[in-house]
Amino acid sequence: MLKSKYILGLFILAIFLSFPIYIGKYWLHVSIISLFYVMMASSWNLLAGYTGQVSFAHAAFAGIGAYVSGIIAIKLNIPPTIGLFIGAGIASLFGLGLGMLCIKMGGIYLSLTTLAFSEIIRLIITNEYELTRGTMGLEVPNLIGFYSKTIYFYIMIAVSIIFLLIIYKIIKSDLGTSFRAISNDELAANSLGINVIRVRIVAFVISSAMAGFAGALFGHYLLLITPDISSLSQMFLILAMTIIGGMGSFFGPIIGAFFLETLSEYIRIYGEYHVLIFGIVALIIARFAPSGLDGIYQEKISPKMAKS
Amino acid sequence: MKGIRYGWILLIAVAFFTATICYPSISISADTIKIGVVGPRTGSAAATGTAFAEGIDLALDYINGKGGLLGKKVEVVFEDTGGVPEKGVAAVEKLVNRDKVPLVVGTSHSSVGIAISEQANRYKTPFIIAESWADEITSKNYKYIFRAGPCNTGVVSEIIKWLKAEGFKKASLVAENTDWGLGIKKLTVEALKEANIEFQTIDTERNSKDHYTELSKIMKYDPEIILAFVYGFGVHYFIAQANEVGLTPKAIIFEGAGPPSLWPQFWENVGDAGNLECFISSMHKSAQPNQVAKDYWDNYVKKFGKEPSDYKSRSIYRVLLIAFDAIEKANSLDGDKLVDALEKSNVTVPSGQVNFGTEKGSVWYHQFQPPMLIIQWQDRQQTVIFPENVATGKLIRE
Repeated sequence: MLKSKYILGLFILAIFLSFPIYIGKYWLHVSIISLFYVMMASSWNLLAGYTGQVSFAHAAFAGIGAYVSGIIAIKLNIPPTIGLFIGAGIASLFGLGLGMLCIKMGGIYLSLTTLAFSEIIRLIITNEYELTRGTMGLEVPNLIGFYSKTIYFYIMIAVSIIFLLIIYKIIKSDLGTSFRAISNDELAANSLGINVIRVRIVAFVISSAMAGFAGALFGHYLLLITPDISSLSQMFLILAMTIIGGMGSFFGPIIGAFFLETLSEYIRIYGEYHVLIFGIVALIIARFAPSGLDGIYQEKISPKMAKS
Repeated sequence: MKGIRYGWILLIAVAFFTATICYPSISISADTIKIGVVGPRTGSAAATGTAFAEGIDLALDYINGKGGLLGKKVEVVFEDTGGVPEKGVAAVEKLVNRDKVPLVVGTSHSSVGIAISEQANRYKTPFIIAESWADEITSKNYKYIFRAGPCNTGVVSEIIKWLKAEGFKKASLVAENTDWGLGIKKLTVEALKEANIEFQTIDTERNSKDHYTELSKIMKYDPEIILAFVYGFGVHYFIAQANEVGLTPKAIIFEGAGPPSLWPQFWENVGDAGNLECFISSMHKSAQPNQVAKDYWDNYVKKFGKEPSDYKSRSIYRVLLIAFDAIEKANSLDGDKLVDALEKSNVTVPSGQVNFGTEKGSVWYHQFQPPMLIIQWQDRQQTVIFPENVATGKLIRE
């Protein structure tokens, strides 16, 4: 049984890896963008879905990572391959700071503080024109020295798999159990000897480092970074992907990222109405499947399959 | 990994595979020729998207009424940029790689124009810009990038000519902190110095609704004219608040973007404070340089039952006429042949006869600058006050 699952897994991976052969440049681009959102939504899910810390600063961390990597590549000639890690490191430092600031906060207070942080970052990026070129956007160098969607696709797949493996290992470890314990009842977790402050900060640091790395990677793919990367609209998209896919589940954000990114490409033709359609789809799913698409599978499809 | 639900991953893979394989990708060998248009259909400048849609309708009526191009009907795929560079890049990605358009026209934000120029040039797809004014776009001298719309240098030159003609001696320069705002501010500062006009500069936030801080600085300076380079509804609040604090009508406000003074919400937002406001435009009923311009005006009135107000509908009409002509002359949809045809273009559009600069080394490479007009609202009626040869009246001061 386990062997057949591995064979199936490898088969599915082979399908993904062969995308560049048959899906064309445009859908390869959509796949790359989807993989960026897989990283963003999964890392946000680690924080919000598993520890219950609903942060609105995740897109801001992606912006920090992207701008740090881009600026040091332009100003200091540091190769983007190194810049990615520096960007992620700086983002994680900001995550550490914000996590410590929010130690005593929970619920709406935590969300509002992170929302304010996110707006501060966006305003700084927009107004520090000399450094970031504001809304004009910062043109950044290519990660690999030349432009190839195929190579970027494989890089994005590799990084996504690494991120997902890290997240999977964390949620299956004692740390993951602590995450869920804090999410369920912080006081009870504390009384059981879990260092709540440490665990909460660790979650912030890990998720912000991942967001910073993903943001930097995304910027070097697009060759352009603008304040939009750290905007609230980006944040709400990540949030929607996680919630529609299934918050607090490992596969939810992956499903949500691919589903919403593909959907948004299909409804582009409706012009100004595509935002409306997007909202209606999100509302329907939120109303009739509050545990997301993954929840539908678990509650409706999986039991039937088990019976048959 | 025990517990992993492979069913879901398989489902995603199959769904994505089906979506990508089955999605109708229409190539140029089909019965129609598709032309890509990019513009803001959502966001704060969505009114430009509406104006673009009107211009596209008129251009399609015109070309398909003539039997299309190369024996085929012409279609337009209009993609939204939302005024955001990343969205613009995604739109061009779709137009070039999925819709297989031979060329792209449009856009109105400089940041979007700059981002798309990089991409279109990389894809070797000709891109004719309608309304992104940043000099950087054509000064990069990219082979596949053309602009048949105003550039900051050309616009500033007209403004300074007008300021000198009216004898203004003291100006306040208010610019939004965007690529366009800061770009045009820099050029205006240089031109004001050269023209010996005393000035102060103030940066502002494009979407700000509260301009009292900026206005108090301007009041202390006591200028004769305020050059406001702010695009969007922010400039409406600026005009209303300037009147509220008593700065106008003693000082004249000149709005340097144009369309915000023509948007339907203008009078609703500014009230009587809009009287005597001046703005820049490339279109006015009284200034029709040729038959193409008159036809555009008449056809617009016939189709939409109103007179055109936002000149950006005519801007997109202009670039589409240029694109049609290039395809016809090139007799091909090949990017290099289209570039060649565009460089030799002499088609007549509502703004005059098109001639793209072909000498490298400046902003004028692949640039066609339509003539610009200075218009003043006088008792809620537009009066062209500059240039003199097309003026319908004179500047009124308090």
